[in-house]
Amino acid sequence: MLRIENLSKKYGKLTAVDNLSLHVESGSIFGLVGPNGAGKTSTMKILAALLAPTAGRAWIAGEEVSTNPARIRQLVGYMPDFFGVYDDLKVEEYLDFYAASYAMPVRERRMIIGDLLELVDLSHKRYAYVDSLSRGMKQRLCLARSLVHDPSLLILDEPASGLDPRARVEMRELLKELKSMGKTIIISSHILPELSELCTHIGIMEMGKLVISGTNEEIVHHTRGGRTLQIRVIDRAEEAGLILQDELGLAEAPFFNNSAVLPFSGDDEDLNRILTRMVASGIPVASFSEGSNNLEDIFMQVTKGAVQ
Amino acid sequence: MKRLVLNPVLDKEFRSRMRTWKSPLLISLYLGVLALITLGYYWTQQQSAFYAGFGPEVGPQIYVTLTIFQLMLVSFVTPAFTAGVISGERERQTLDLLICTRLSATSIILNKLLASIAYILLLIISSLPFFSVVYFFGGVLLSEIGQVFLVYLMTSLTFGAIGVFCSTVFRKTQVSVVVTYVIVFFFLAGTVVITAFLASVSPNFSGLPLIAYLNPVVALFSTFPGSFSQEMFMSFGVGGRVVGANTPASNLLPWQYNFIGDGIIIVLFLILAIILLDPVGRFSRLKQLFRRKRKVQVEIDDEEIKSEAHPG
Repeated sequence: MLRIENLSKKYGKLTAVDNLSLHVESGSIFGLVGPNGAGKTSTMKILAALLAPTAGRAWIAGEEVSTNPARIRQLVGYMPDFFGVYDDLKVEEYLDFYAASYAMPVRERRMIIGDLLELVDLSHKRYAYVDSLSRGMKQRLCLARSLVHDPSLLILDEPASGLDPRARVEMRELLKELKSMGKTIIISSHILPELSELCTHIGIMEMGKLVISGTNEEIVHHTRGGRTLQIRVIDRAEEAGLILQDELGLAEAPFFNNSAVLPFSGDDEDLNRILTRMVASGIPVASFSEGSNNLEDIFMQVTKGAVQ
Repeated sequence: MKRLVLNPVLDKEFRSRMRTWKSPLLISLYLGVLALITLGYYWTQQQSAFYAGFGPEVGPQIYVTLTIFQLMLVSFVTPAFTAGVISGERERQTLDLLICTRLSATSIILNKLLASIAYILLLIISSLPFFSVVYFFGGVLLSEIGQVFLVYLMTSLTFGAIGVFCSTVFRKTQVSVVVTYVIVFFFLAGTVVITAFLASVSPNFSGLPLIAYLNPVVALFSTFPGSFSQEMFMSFGVGGRVVGANTPASNLLPWQYNFIGDGIIIVLFLILAIILLDPVGRFSRLKQLFRRKRKVQVEIDDEEIKSEAHPG
């Protein structure tokens, strides 16, 4: 569905996107993660034919983005991170305006507006002024707007930003619904647990570069074995720390408030050895468990927190 | 019957503009000012008259006063309507959403301008009853009124195109409005100053310099009936200069020269606005092509250097 080759975008001396290459399969949900200023929005704007790249090329459904923007705009539904609405229009008129802007016939427009309002649960607000909608409703309306021409690819830049927990859950459910409808979605978000639950593929960007990308499992596998060791002791944390330092080659004692969470790349026998040694030393172990890295852990591991 | 389908931008602009109380209020204010001018002028004429009733010159005099004030109003209102059409979308953060539809930059720019001009035309048309008062007094031909309305249309299109251009160039509406007013002021007053300066530098020069024809007031004066036209030019500060005498085709009237100049300005500013609005359009591709060619040239140069360094 989407192929990017050596894409770069420079604003004067600042390189927002640096030689980015990426491939997104049809029907997948690709989560683009990165700190502020990583180049996510610039990449998304280039894909939505809103920004000309400095170098490189991108194809959506076989169409090159730079050479055929009109066709790309028909294929892509774009929802920016910050957007405004026409407050003096009613919800139905707002969607009708965008449907007409995609040259849709009047009869088809009426039908699709009804369907979309039902999808985003705004049917009861059909004749309300856009101005009167809450932030969450406006976000859902904007998502409906991006779907008005039935695009194959949805590009959603921080669709859940600024939403309260309930609205965020509603947005997540909506995106799951779109996923089940077979849409290919590229989504950026700062709420990493939600992304890992929703996305089939993840890409982490930093300083314009794609640091790592792949399926969730591939990324977990690539980052320090993707496992953690979680230990809690009742007492004698210092002694337990010395054992762990010895076994795992740590420079510092890992315990804080009698608990430790450590990256772990060993196997089950290593786990058994550490536990046996602790118990044999008489350390009162309250819990000893293995966990896998979540997206937040991986994000912290692969990024350096640098912004341009 | 086939249903009339408006461009969505035009449709939305009409809907948004006519929905609020601001539109009827503005039309009422506009007509109120014109009514005050007409009645005020008639009243002052009556006060200074030695006899009851009115002379034959009253009709044309009211007409001249009305048309000049209306031109000033059109010049004042047009930038206010057009200088925020694109920058306003940018400030509201709706421009990206508009551009990523199938609407072309040309369609967006032209329909934004048309929507603004349509509203200004509504103001002008709503002022027609005042011109019927002039007709009541006599002394003005219908064709002359028609020419005046054409001057209004061209002036609003010209200042509108400049406003739309400024609103595309400047990110903030306030800056765009100020710059548009400065340009409009140049058209109205700057051209007069330059004309007066050129007249003082070369007193033997008999006609108006070409820049003077850009002034819509010059175009308006040339549409006035009979002696009023020359009288107005005299008061305009160009003395007894023959209008159009130094131009290559002097059989054209000043308002016709003005229309040619306006036409060029409208086309030029609109093309520039369209190019600036289109983020990945033809102009952007031309720039890219130029960059690629330069890159290829650099690579060829590198190859040549290498082959020279290692022949064979």
